[in-house]
Amino acid sequence: MSKVYFSTWRGEFINNVDKPQEEWEESAYNLPAQYDNHRTSKAFIGWDGVSLFDEDVDVIRLAMEYAAQYQEYSEACGRCAPGRWGGRILYDSLDKIARGEGEKADLDHLKEIAKSMQITSKCEIGKTVPNPILDLMHHFEDTFLDCIENKKPSKHYYDEVGYIAKITAPCTDACPAHVDIPGYIEGVRDLRFDDSLKATRQTMPLAHVCGRVCPHPCEDACRRTNLDEPVSIMELKRLGADYETDHGFGFFHPLNKKNPIDKKVAVIGAGPAGLTTAYYLAAEGVKVDVYEELPVLGGEVAVGVPEYRMPIGKYNQDIECVKDMGVNFITNSKINADDMRRFEKEYDATMIATGTRISKKVRCNNERPEIDGYWSAIEMLDQINLWDKYGIGEAVDLTGKTVVCVGGGFTSMDVVRCAIRANAKKVYMIYRRDEKTIIRNTTYEEYHEAVEEGVEFLFHSAVNAMNDEDDVLKSLLIDKFELVPDPNGGRDQLVKIDGASYTIETDFLIPAVSQSADLALLPEEWEIEMTSWGTIKTNGKDYMTSRKGIFASGDCEYGPMTIVNAVGQAKRASSVISRFIQNGGEITLTDNEIMEDHLHRLRVYNKKEKVTGWLPGLVRQNSEVLDAEVRRDNNKEVNLGFTQDEAIDEANRCMRCYYIAMVAT
Amino acid sequence: MVNFKINGISVKAQKGETILQVARREGIYIPTMCYLAKATPNASCRMCVVEAKGVDGLVLSCNTPPTEGAEITTDSQILYKERQNIMKLYNVNHPLQCGVCDKSGECELQNKTLEFGVEQQNFAVRDQARKKKKWGVHTYDPALCILCEKCTTVCNEVVGNEALFIKAGGYKSRIEINLANCIQCGECISVCPVGAMASTDFKYTSNAWELTKVPSSCAHCSSACSLYYESKGGEIRRVTNEADFSSLCGAGRFGFDFQNRVQTKDTSAFEKAVEAFKSAKNVVFNSFITNEEAFVLNELKKKLGFNLVNDDARKYQEFMDNFASTSNKSLYNGDIKDLSNSDFIISIGGSIQSDNPMVKFAMAQAVGYKKAFVASIHPIEEAPISNVVSMFIKNEVGSEEAALSMVADIFIEDKSSQKEFFDSLDFGYLCGESNISEEELDELKQKYLRKKKPMLVIGEDVINHSRAKNIAMIVGLIQKYTPFKVIVVPPSTNTLGVSLICDLDKIEDGFSVGYNVKADFTLSAKGEGDLDMPSLNQQEGTFVNIDKNLVVLNAGVAYHGYELNDIASSLGVESKNVIDYTSKLGFKEIEFDDLDNYYDNVGNAYRGYKIESVKNNDSVKLDEVEELGEFNGSVVYSRNPLSQFSPFTKDCKQIKVKDELVGSEQFAMASKIKSGDRVKFIVDGIEFVRHFRVDRHMKGTVAYNPTFMLDSKSSNYRYNQVKIEVINE
Repeated sequence: MSKVYFSTWRGEFINNVDKPQEEWEESAYNLPAQYDNHRTSKAFIGWDGVSLFDEDVDVIRLAMEYAAQYQEYSEACGRCAPGRWGGRILYDSLDKIARGEGEKADLDHLKEIAKSMQITSKCEIGKTVPNPILDLMHHFEDTFLDCIENKKPSKHYYDEVGYIAKITAPCTDACPAHVDIPGYIEGVRDLRFDDSLKATRQTMPLAHVCGRVCPHPCEDACRRTNLDEPVSIMELKRLGADYETDHGFGFFHPLNKKNPIDKKVAVIGAGPAGLTTAYYLAAEGVKVDVYEELPVLGGEVAVGVPEYRMPIGKYNQDIECVKDMGVNFITNSKINADDMRRFEKEYDATMIATGTRISKKVRCNNERPEIDGYWSAIEMLDQINLWDKYGIGEAVDLTGKTVVCVGGGFTSMDVVRCAIRANAKKVYMIYRRDEKTIIRNTTYEEYHEAVEEGVEFLFHSAVNAMNDEDDVLKSLLIDKFELVPDPNGGRDQLVKIDGASYTIETDFLIPAVSQSADLALLPEEWEIEMTSWGTIKTNGKDYMTSRKGIFASGDCEYGPMTIVNAVGQAKRASSVISRFIQNGGEITLTDNEIMEDHLHRLRVYNKKEKVTGWLPGLVRQNSEVLDAEVRRDNNKEVNLGFTQDEAIDEANRCMRCYYIAMVAT
Repeated sequence: MVNFKINGISVKAQKGETILQVARREGIYIPTMCYLAKATPNASCRMCVVEAKGVDGLVLSCNTPPTEGAEITTDSQILYKERQNIMKLYNVNHPLQCGVCDKSGECELQNKTLEFGVEQQNFAVRDQARKKKKWGVHTYDPALCILCEKCTTVCNEVVGNEALFIKAGGYKSRIEINLANCIQCGECISVCPVGAMASTDFKYTSNAWELTKVPSSCAHCSSACSLYYESKGGEIRRVTNEADFSSLCGAGRFGFDFQNRVQTKDTSAFEKAVEAFKSAKNVVFNSFITNEEAFVLNELKKKLGFNLVNDDARKYQEFMDNFASTSNKSLYNGDIKDLSNSDFIISIGGSIQSDNPMVKFAMAQAVGYKKAFVASIHPIEEAPISNVVSMFIKNEVGSEEAALSMVADIFIEDKSSQKEFFDSLDFGYLCGESNISEEELDELKQKYLRKKKPMLVIGEDVINHSRAKNIAMIVGLIQKYTPFKVIVVPPSTNTLGVSLICDLDKIEDGFSVGYNVKADFTLSAKGEGDLDMPSLNQQEGTFVNIDKNLVVLNAGVAYHGYELNDIASSLGVESKNVIDYTSKLGFKEIEFDDLDNYYDNVGNAYRGYKIESVKNNDSVKLDEVEELGEFNGSVVYSRNPLSQFSPFTKDCKQIKVKDELVGSEQFAMASKIKSGDRVKFIVDGIEFVRHFRVDRHMKGTVAYNPTFMLDSKSSNYRYNQVKIEVINE
């Protein structure tokens, strides 16, 4: 809810003109009325309307400055006729009026060109830039006419006003790493796979990984859904990465490494968050040492995500790319509290990115880790992956064994599918809720591939007790539940069905319900503030912990979450750290980041919007997947990726929904 | 197959076709400014918007595939209005200098401004200063540029060079270049709809409508690309092409001024020529010749009994004969179009970068459009095409037989026909000798998984290899027993045609007549012999190109001297015109004037006809792979720089590539020479004196030695061990 003077944002029409401020009607949207803690906003203008927070806004100049932004962005972009010339005509004509040199005919020409841009522009930026300008011209026509008829400049034409703009897109906004998705898809469409990869790497160094195993929240915010089906955004990311790898090029870095600035940062953990922090800090000329407990780099993506989903050869390319930026890695190095105390002195800042590597208990009776057959998901996946990918340790052979996994998330899927590949006789997945929910929590593909491979899913089930003989697991008592509608209209309740419990004989129980963070490395006297679920607390914007100079990102901050979430946090944190270490310990966000947060709160994607100007019904491409028979006993990559024809067709489904938003302060 | 309607007419779309493509195929007009049929849609002009029933807003036809039952309207008042507005926008600040613009008369902006009745301009913006740029053969004027992106698309997708790119930023957007990547092919000029990307040489020399346009085929390499010679005042002023559908390299586009300018018929020289033929022991010629003239020479041979000598074509003939003995087909089964649609390519024995530009263009397209894996088995890693080649497998010089036999072993499943040969292969030994590792071969096999359209491209190195016979038979086996389609790149323009038409001999001691080859009596299209002959842009006739198509050659510019046909007629091989032989070449009995030479609305080429392969029922056993000779010390590779093919390209004024020896730093060190030295060395008995330059992108100990200035192609292996002498003064 925001107090506004006037707003047309997203179909809402609020007009408090001539009303005393205390009677102002409020907007239902989270508009950025307060820009940051020392600046209020006077106005917000964007693709879906305009909001004024102050009576004194110069609407003509606001329109003109918004049109001017269109000339600034390479995304916005001069790559179509209506956009390139139309955008400039909007700006020139509005400036002419604002200067006091406009004529009435200019208003007609503005309307005409605005309409042409709305209908024929290549992408949403050209189609939407005229929207708020037309709103202002319509609702403040008198103001425009006043300037034209009296040949006078607009009221603040010569005053200093801050205009802060930001380009976004629904998918980019939904992506925790804010990847320039339309940009990398454009690269595929243009067959400029180098450009595609650079667009990805601006905010996401793990292009191979996030082209394979990202749960793609972006696709839930794809405007193409409003028309037919979302674009297969995630898989298109692979094209650029594969191009670089297949041709053996050097790394296409989107930014040039700056000269050394004589600052040092320690990063604890070489998983996605650690790698990301290191990559962007190294690019800033910072000396970065990454400490990794395991003998191998990559964190959970290396030792958690199995080879058949994420081939290590590909992941290593991403890691090499980070190395290529000039990052120093120290493996086999578990950091303790003494190290941390030392780091605080030796380094200008420290990033904790240690993830969550302790499997939580399933909370059943007789759940004792010492029972032979009780095997945490993390330990099992560590052993499998270290052997399969690096030849470290020993192979897991489950021939003749029965395995029961309790879970429902990605990790549990990895457990059951790895168990199949380790030749288990029978593999069960126990899940409290239903099929629909498990698909929502993972992906459609992941669930169906597991079923195809022979995993038996037991829904609405939970382990009641472990039965052992002399500390050797023999069987599990499973309770059955049913969903009972809440009479008060709330969420359906899971209720145990009496008498429906049953027993499964099994050799293993693998808890994969969730993980928690091992934070023994935090010196007690630092008294670092924690969240209620045992992760490190930050404000979720700058990622500094309660102790100055100590930052945290990824799962150890958020709790077990996605790779892309870790990357997004670490990318932001690296930006904050680079300023923190150079500006005498001050925590700041850039305007771009402030706007990013505002827009995210406001929500860029509007699932109710009716999309026009595109032919609906173009089906989403699906890449080929290895047959279950071919894949179930080995580590061959299951998803073969798009053929080039499929990729180009899929890229052509992208509507390039870039938007410009701007705040006047 | 998708059924839908355009303007009420029921039409069908194939998988992958867009609304615009279907419309064009059906002859329904949709205006475009930025659409380039041979590449992916740019979608920048927005002229091709159409209406779809039940869909709000306008839909772009160039990049939208139709959906079942869609009803499309391509013309309406709304569409006209929007298209008119786009033309108005394109005209905002477009300089009104049509009077002195090169493009006037063939300008899409002019045409569509008229078509959409732009009588008045409602829009204006402040103009900006823009600098013209000169980028070698092409000049860019950003003030004229409408940012349609055809030039960047063609450079990136079709040529595979990534030289031109868009510097985007609203109204300030413009085209920029990474000049180091530019191969000066001029494709960007050919696709520019306005006068922005212009030929530096042609600029301001002629109005489009004053030029006489003659369709012909390029004479420089075996692709024999379709082109137009455009002339005025007895001189070719420029070469153009059907840029929407076909391409040209720099030699084709800019190497056109090689005609023989002789003005009179030298009767006494002619009589001497007739006598020379009568007394000739040998008639020596090269493959820069039409099928008809090659046929005439062969007829003269039959009549006069001389040895007919063309080692380039003879070697190729032998290669294809041996190929046929195992493939059981007289011709290879692939063509350039197959290559551009391929998803797995192995090239062996040729320089992808410069031997045949269309082969490289096609590979680049295969990489872009089909994500093709391209392996180049060649001793030299060609760094400038690393965006095309996925894997350089650097074999030891001379080891092509070993390399190909291993390739055959990997990809041929049914080895029964040549069991002894395959059983005899010792990979450990072959890998050692060829310096190709088993890991590389494994990777090759790995990358082949799930590929559907593999191609094998065979270059000139192996045709002239001492083990060419066995190599040809291995290639034949691959064609017969694997899904690979094969191209054996003909080394010169009409090598394939000559090899199919002529009965060729080895040279013997005695009096020789040379046709475009220096001899005791020389007929020369360059005016450098005893009797002048017309050059290939002054003749009618046909070639057989790399696609095995018999393609048409028309005279781009007049010729005033004697022709071979005149000599032949005096010697009793009579015909009025040399093209009377076109129907008698032994292929199809189609008269020259009845040969097709056009592209249809969607870009299918109708150029002459395809030469059919003949069956061969031989069943010959392969020899075991022979031990290798060693190439040590300084090795030079006979390879021409881009755009240089022959003495005919050598003196073309727009082709400015030097004939220097180019090698790596390693080569310089090994040969004890340095950049800038003048050096002397002997290859095949010919002494070369060359300026030496180090190319820091090159690796290894093999240097490039261009031979385009020689009048006949060496028919020996292209690598030679040489002794290099510095002769600085």
